[in-house]
Amino acid sequence: MARRRNPVLWAAPLGGLLAIALLPYAWLVMASFKARADLLTQPPRWVFQPSWENYRQILVEKGFDTYLVNSLVVGLGSTVIAVTVGTLAAYAFSRFKVPAGNHIFFYVLAMRLGPPVAYALPMYLVFFKLGLLNLQAGVILAHATFNLVLVIWMMKSFFDEVPREVEEAAYLDGCGHLRVFLNVALPLSYPGLVTVAIFVLIFSWNELLFALILSAGQMRTMTVMIPSLVLHTGTLWGEVAAASVVQSIPVLVFTFVIQKHLVRGLTFGAVKG
Amino acid sequence: MAAHSAREARRFMWLCIGPLILFLVLVSITPTILAIVDSLRELSLTVFTKRGDFIGLENYRTLLREDPVFFSSIGRTALFVIVVVPLEFALGLAVALTINHEFRGRRLVVTALMLPTMVAPVVVGMMWRYLLMPSYGLLTYYLERYGILPSSTVFSDVALAYAVLALIDVWEWTPFMMLIMAAGLAAMPPEPIEAAHLDGAGPWQVLRHVQLPFLRPLIVFACMFRAIEASKVFDSIFVLTGGGPGDATEVVALFAFRTNFVKWDLGYGAAICLVLAFFSLIVAALFYKVVSHGAPARA
Repeated sequence: MARRRNPVLWAAPLGGLLAIALLPYAWLVMASFKARADLLTQPPRWVFQPSWENYRQILVEKGFDTYLVNSLVVGLGSTVIAVTVGTLAAYAFSRFKVPAGNHIFFYVLAMRLGPPVAYALPMYLVFFKLGLLNLQAGVILAHATFNLVLVIWMMKSFFDEVPREVEEAAYLDGCGHLRVFLNVALPLSYPGLVTVAIFVLIFSWNELLFALILSAGQMRTMTVMIPSLVLHTGTLWGEVAAASVVQSIPVLVFTFVIQKHLVRGLTFGAVKG
Repeated sequence: MAAHSAREARRFMWLCIGPLILFLVLVSITPTILAIVDSLRELSLTVFTKRGDFIGLENYRTLLREDPVFFSSIGRTALFVIVVVPLEFALGLAVALTINHEFRGRRLVVTALMLPTMVAPVVVGMMWRYLLMPSYGLLTYYLERYGILPSSTVFSDVALAYAVLALIDVWEWTPFMMLIMAAGLAAMPPEPIEAAHLDGAGPWQVLRHVQLPFLRPLIVFACMFRAIEASKVFDSIFVLTGGGPGDATEVVALFAFRTNFVKWDLGYGAAICLVLAFFSLIVAALFYKVVSHGAPARA
């Protein structure tokens, strides 16, 4: 860390930065509490009578509670799959010399780096042919695939940090590999596992393209439904704002929970913050 | 140690790696093979005559030789990346330097600054659409009133629409750069900086000759990562302009999306997707090389 500085010199720019980062969102939150008459005004209205009407419209009248549940089902489903498959693989990558391990890992990485459309279309073709587009299975599998590299890379780095001596001691006590994994390595990496799971959940919850392509009708998620409030007859800005706030509040809460690991998670484990 | 034989270890390893391989075969390899087959056909859900006859490499030939939209969308995407990534890096580094010291509530401030990156891109898009709405938007109203913008319809002018989309991307992703650069700066040992100060170096010289060289691997990683992500930009443009005005902001992801899921030209669309996947494989290989050799490892 650098030397002490004059607090005024950095506090002022910091305040400005916070304003730039937070004001657009704050304006959206304000809009979600505005009545229709307060939304489209010249000049824009800063003081108004707040109401819950937009939230009621969204959650009660427009049935967004269904899409909220869909987002949750997709998020949890893909998290369970990605974390299970990825954690097992990460342990193998951490402890053994996996044949063609580099190639397998590269393949998983490439699926995350490539354009989602390119990977969504093949899945669409499969689900189209099987007639499964009206299930959430497609989105769940797509999001799990997309997040695998994060789970593998991050969990591998957490497993690498587990001291070998602890595992060796367990082997000497006569434990098999599976027991060592389940009773020693996994519990010691548990905080890491929770962090990874939250990241996968956020990424899935925020994702649009796969959800747009691979889900239909009553199965659509929040991210797909928010733009649908833009109508030819005019956008229902109050409801857009309310839906956006409902969608983003859990993300902000979880971001706060995992703030210590943000660097690691956002670079899917490549940079250890 | 004798208790776990090599054979047992091998069996356990396959137990761990097996689900991954099975998963990849089911959700990635099989679909890709199907897509390759479809890319060789004339298949459309909307054009009656295109019922799925095999036409060899015709789709690829049309795409790579005759489709001007494909190449202009790639050009637009490349321009977007070239504009956006250096800006995000420079601003991110500047912010990281601003917060590069201990103060009360530092972690809370950093987390708050991360909001633009963490909120869903769709929400970011809608948020800015609301701020930039003609006449009534918070920003457009004041910008027009103080004469900074000639008119309040931001997204009807080609250059302006493009610039605004780039600025929104900068707003969204600068915090990400800031976070990585701040982690790198915090991991720096204090001695070289102190030594430079003793030698009479000012903040600029410390930045250029001490801090930047130390951060180099991390900078390469972060810019490459952002370039890859920016080349896939979809959500915010889909929400803000839908590719318009005309096709002025139709980036390559949007082009592929529209061909497949608006025009339903699936055979041709599959060819587009496979060409894109092939390109991204090359980019991913490059990225993998950078990360695995001289990795940013521990920032």
